[in-house]
Amino acid sequence: MTRFGVIAGFLAIVPLAQTQSPGEWPTLNGDYSSRRHSPLTQINKSNVGQLTQAWKFRPNAGVIKGTPLMVNGVLYLTVPDHVWAVDAATGRELWHFNRPSRGDRIANRGVAMYKKWIYFGTPDAFLVCLRADTGEKVWEAPMADVHFGYYMSLPPLVVKDKLIVGISGDAADVTGFLKAVDPVTGNVLWTWNSVPKWGEPGSETWPSAEALAHGGAMTWVQGSYDPDLNLIYWGTGNPHPVMNGAERPGANLYTCSIVAINADTGKLVWYFQPSPHDTYDRDATESVVLIDGVFRGRQRKMLAQASRNGYFFLLDRKTGEHLRTTPFGPQNWSLGLNRRGEPIPDPKKDPRPDGTLFLGSGTNWYTPAFNPATGLFYVNAAQGVWSLTYLSAGIEGEPEDHQGGREAPLGGGESSLLAIDYQTGGVRWKLGYGNAAGILTTASGLVFTANSGYLVGLDAENGKTLWKQNAGGPASNAPITYQLGGKQFVVVSVRDTLYAFVLPAKP
Amino acid sequence: MLWRRITFLQLAFGALGLFGQNANSRWWAWPANPDPQAAERGKSVFTAHCAGCHGAKATGTAKGPNLIRSRIVRKDVDGSATAALVRTGVPGKGMPPVPLADPEMKELVAFLQWTLQKYDRVSFGVPAETYPLERLLTGNAEAGKAFFSGAGGCTSCHSVTGDLAGIGRKYAPVFLQSRFLMPRATKPKTVTVTLPSGEKVSGELRTINNYDIVMKDSAGQTRTFDAQTTKAEVQDPLAGHIALLPKYTDAQVHNMFAYLWSLQ
Ligand code: HEC
Ligand code: HEC
Repeated sequence: MTRFGVIAGFLAIVPLAQTQSPGEWPTLNGDYSSRRHSPLTQINKSNVGQLTQAWKFRPNAGVIKGTPLMVNGVLYLTVPDHVWAVDAATGRELWHFNRPSRGDRIANRGVAMYKKWIYFGTPDAFLVCLRADTGEKVWEAPMADVHFGYYMSLPPLVVKDKLIVGISGDAADVTGFLKAVDPVTGNVLWTWNSVPKWGEPGSETWPSAEALAHGGAMTWVQGSYDPDLNLIYWGTGNPHPVMNGAERPGANLYTCSIVAINADTGKLVWYFQPSPHDTYDRDATESVVLIDGVFRGRQRKMLAQASRNGYFFLLDRKTGEHLRTTPFGPQNWSLGLNRRGEPIPDPKKDPRPDGTLFLGSGTNWYTPAFNPATGLFYVNAAQGVWSLTYLSAGIEGEPEDHQGGREAPLGGGESSLLAIDYQTGGVRWKLGYGNAAGILTTASGLVFTANSGYLVGLDAENGKTLWKQNAGGPASNAPITYQLGGKQFVVVSVRDTLYAFVLPAKP
Repeated sequence: MLWRRITFLQLAFGALGLFGQNANSRWWAWPANPDPQAAERGKSVFTAHCAGCHGAKATGTAKGPNLIRSRIVRKDVDGSATAALVRTGVPGKGMPPVPLADPEMKELVAFLQWTLQKYDRVSFGVPAETYPLERLLTGNAEAGKAFFSGAGGCTSCHSVTGDLAGIGRKYAPVFLQSRFLMPRATKPKTVTVTLPSGEKVSGELRTINNYDIVMKDSAGQTRTFDAQTTKAEVQDPLAGHIALLPKYTDAQVHNMFAYLWSLQ
């Protein structure tokens, strides 16, 4: 199955980086499918317990939330404003690029690579192109206006000869988009606005041009791509004002949606809306994971998302037809599903001035993983969390701010690693004390993530702990793996340090 | 360091925890970092000359647009563009020229920039202590009282003349509403572990996860156990309250609030 360009077979489909060899990690999530599944097997169930630290890299620049790429023996690592090239075998710094900027520096998720260049986004919403060999800047281009609170936290997705750019930052009630950018010139080739313009299809789900122009729908988690269908899949963020839905009656397309976009034209092909008319910040930006497999006896091209709203969705990715919608935790806000398989929010459970008792489950930006051998979708999630939610509208009913409400957490609930059977949406097993960490799976039947404040290697079949490492806290990025010089590395950051683990040398 | 204090559960939800990181890092230096005292003085200038059309919080009215979203104000690096517009007005578009002396103009611009930053910084958060009582008082105190001694079963642990006497006075209204649903325990959680030998050890729970159980035993000693091989039972003093949450309707919450609030 090299359909999504399992790392080894990737070159055959798309020349992402020029000199790939088997065992690289050439994109944020390893390949186009967002499965975060590696074909490597040197580290396996029987030896994973022996993993030891090979090296660490501590750039001393704050928490590392970026997930590195590994191409041709070099890791490319980021924190906001900074990029490092690091020798993947030794952890030695090769070059460092710093571009100080004004803007939201809450996180940078990593770089993208195309031919001999790497690309990253900045707190002031620029896309920057660097030479991969030296770290010298080739060009930079603004993707949005920082004065409106826009910033870039995620790297572009390289699709053929385009860089697909998503955007972060909705504090100023702005709207989101995807842009396709020419990797050589930095020119914008197409833009898809994640809320339509007034009069365009979808705008009928908004009350006014004004509401729509400030509708939100950021695109701040990286999407996926199917080369055969030539479709880009992306999740979009919540509408604004966040909690005050009375300001924007309607489904508010394309907020809280999963969209399929033609890679050449930037035109919407289909959409599915996990949270129509959201009033709880339940953006649907989480990874859209491409799965090829049998569903109800038929081979299908599918797409799965464990969404912020506590539902697991399985769609046909050719058509957007919904195959499964299954909650992965308790909630008290949904009246059931509409004909499209989307949850119907109970208006009685919207935030109110006197407080609404809200129960929800969900996940967030930390990347899930899918292992085709187990058929399990792994996600760190919260289940059954209670809060009181308040609508804080002004005297004339206008929202007091872009949040439009407040939330007093009450408690209850638990956070766990869930292993979801994609066929049924049911949770096959779970491991409590989950952390807000990304996940990696391997063909040797392992799951790497963080749990209970440790870095862990688990049996992908049943969640049994096979390796654990106390590195002073849970992972702050998503683990990756690659093979170099005959050795398989597992690399993950904890706080301000990047750690590499390998099997001990044979005596 | 905010991110240390927010739990994973919160990370799954609020924008506050979206990235689990120090909130301070979010605030980009605006074109100008307004002086809060100048901004405070500028507020009265704004109230006197502008609020009538642009709204008390600059978020707009039928007579004047939202200035928080104004391209001119947002992109104004040194305040000069806003000042120029205010001086000349927008002829024929309903924005009158407002001639202000330089110091007042500076304070006005400081107020606008400060308001804009404040607006952008709002994110998922708990309601303020000052959240108005009248918004919360929508329930029926009599019905709350009946629930307290009836279906709610509160009297099995509480008495309104004993531990809950005067509870309506103890907290700001909006906090009272959270506290009666989920109080803060004054007693710690306890844990009893059963060792492979069958021996049982109890103590105050410090940490529990998949791998470690840490307790302070009755002798005051900190003891650590391997959670993978040790059976543990946790006693949470608030278990009764957690079990109550699914039993409340929203109406019962507001009735109970009205009742507890009346216990002044
Ligand atoms: C009588 C009502 C009125 C008053 C008083 C008023 N404005 Fe305006 N203002 C308007 C209107 C209407 C517009 C929109 C003009 C247009 O359509 O271009 C406007 C536009 C503006 C704009 C430009 C917004 C943009 O992005 O286009 C700014 C800035 C502004 N006003 C600031 C102020 C300030 C500061 C004051 C007080 C010193 C003030 N205004 C007083 C009615 C008013
Ligand atoms: C199983 C026992 C139990 C039941 C039943 C119970 N509570 Fe409590 N409640 C507690 C405990 C324990 C605390 C924490 C008190 C402490 O640790 O000092 C508490 C605290 C409170 C507090 C906060 C007191 C303060 O001073 O901060 C309020 C208010 C309260 N409960 C209301 C209620 C109401 C209303 C009900 C019924 C709907 C109820 N409780 C049912 C055990 C219970």
